[in-house]
Amino acid sequence: MIVIAILIGCIIGAVIGMNSPVIPYTYSIFLAIAVVAALDSVFGGITSVLKKNFDLTIFISGFFCNSILSIALTYLGQKLNLDIYLAALVVFVGRMFTNLTIIRRHYIEKWTNKREKEEVKE
Amino acid sequence: MNKKVISIVIGFMCLILSYGISVQVKTINSIGTKTSTNATENELRDEVLRAKEKYDNLYNALEEAEKKLEQERTNATQNNTELTDLENSIKEANKVAGLSEVTGPGITITLDDNDKITSNNILLDPNSALVHDIDVIRVVNELKNAGAEAISVNGQRIVTTTAIECDGNVITVNGVKIGTPFVIQAIGLPEQLNGLNRYGGYLMNLQENYGIKVTTKKEDEITIPKYTGVIKFEYAESK
Repeated sequence: MIVIAILIGCIIGAVIGMNSPVIPYTYSIFLAIAVVAALDSVFGGITSVLKKNFDLTIFISGFFCNSILSIALTYLGQKLNLDIYLAALVVFVGRMFTNLTIIRRHYIEKWTNKREKEEVKE
Repeated sequence: MNKKVISIVIGFMCLILSYGISVQVKTINSIGTKTSTNATENELRDEVLRAKEKYDNLYNALEEAEKKLEQERTNATQNNTELTDLENSIKEANKVAGLSEVTGPGITITLDDNDKITSNNILLDPNSALVHDIDVIRVVNELKNAGAEAISVNGQRIVTTTAIECDGNVITVNGVKIGTPFVIQAIGLPEQLNGLNRYGGYLMNLQENYGIKVTTKKEDEITIPKYTGVIKFEYAESK
C-alpha cells in the first residue's frame, strides 16, 4: 500500500515537474537543499511506519519545518559568506542513511523469519 | 491511524519531493553546466551565472522602461505638429544610429568553415579553411559599399562603434562572442546587394580558393535587431 502510494506520488510529481517552468538559477540552491530536507523527512516517515509509531502531525510538520529551516539557514549562510547549508546537508544525509539501515534491517529480518518458519515446517 | 491516510500523506509528500527534484534537474539542465570536482571552478561558474541572470533581468527592465518612454512620448506629442516633427526626427536619428529595430528587403549571407579538406586540395594550412574576422569585415564593408542601410552579424547590429575582432576560435562583434556559421543580414536593394556574389568578387574568392561555404539568399523582408549596447561620446563635441 505505502509502496504503491510512494510510486504513484513520485511519478505524478515528476510528470508535473517536467512540464513546469524552470526557476531562476540564483534560487536553485534553495530548492536543492529543500529537496534533501524533504527526502530526509520521507525516509523518517517510512521508518516510523515500520516501527509503528507514525504520527501524522509530526510527519507533516517535520516535512515543512525541515525544508523551511534549511532554506533559511542557506540564506543566512549566503549573507554571512559561510556555507551553512553543508551542515544541514551532513545532518540530513546522515539521518537518511540511518533510516535506510533501519528500513533494510526490518525487511531482511522479516524475510529471514519467514524462511526459518518454512524450514521448521518442512 | 489507519493505513490509508498514512499512504495518501506519504504519497503526497513524495509527489512534492519528486516535483522539486525534477524542477531542479530541469533548471540545471537548461543552464547546461556540469559540476566540476574543482571547487574554485564551480564557484566561479556560479558567480558568472548569477551575474548573467542579473544582467538579463536588468536588461529586460531597461527594455520595458524604453517601451514606456516611447509610449509616453507618442502620447505627449500627439496633438502638436511641432513636437510630432521633433519626435519623427528622433525616430529617424535612432534608425540611422542603429538604436531601433528595422525591417525591409535585403539579403542574408551565410559563411561557414570548409569542413572538407582533402589531400588534393591546395589547402595545406588548416587556418585558411576557417572563416576569419577579416572575412566578415570584408563582407560587411562590401555590403556597405553596395548601399546596405542596416547590417547585422549573427544578430549583432553593426553601428558606428562596432568592432569585429578575432578572439581565439570565435570572433567578437560589439564585444559579444559569436561562432560559425556567420549569418550576415543586410537591408538594401536586394539586386544591388546580391552583386556581391559577382564573379571575381570577395565572396567568390572565398568560395573558390578556400572552400568556405557561402550562401546568399535574397529576402523580401528581414528584421535587423537594434544595437543593445550604449553609445557614449565623451570627447567628441558637435560644433
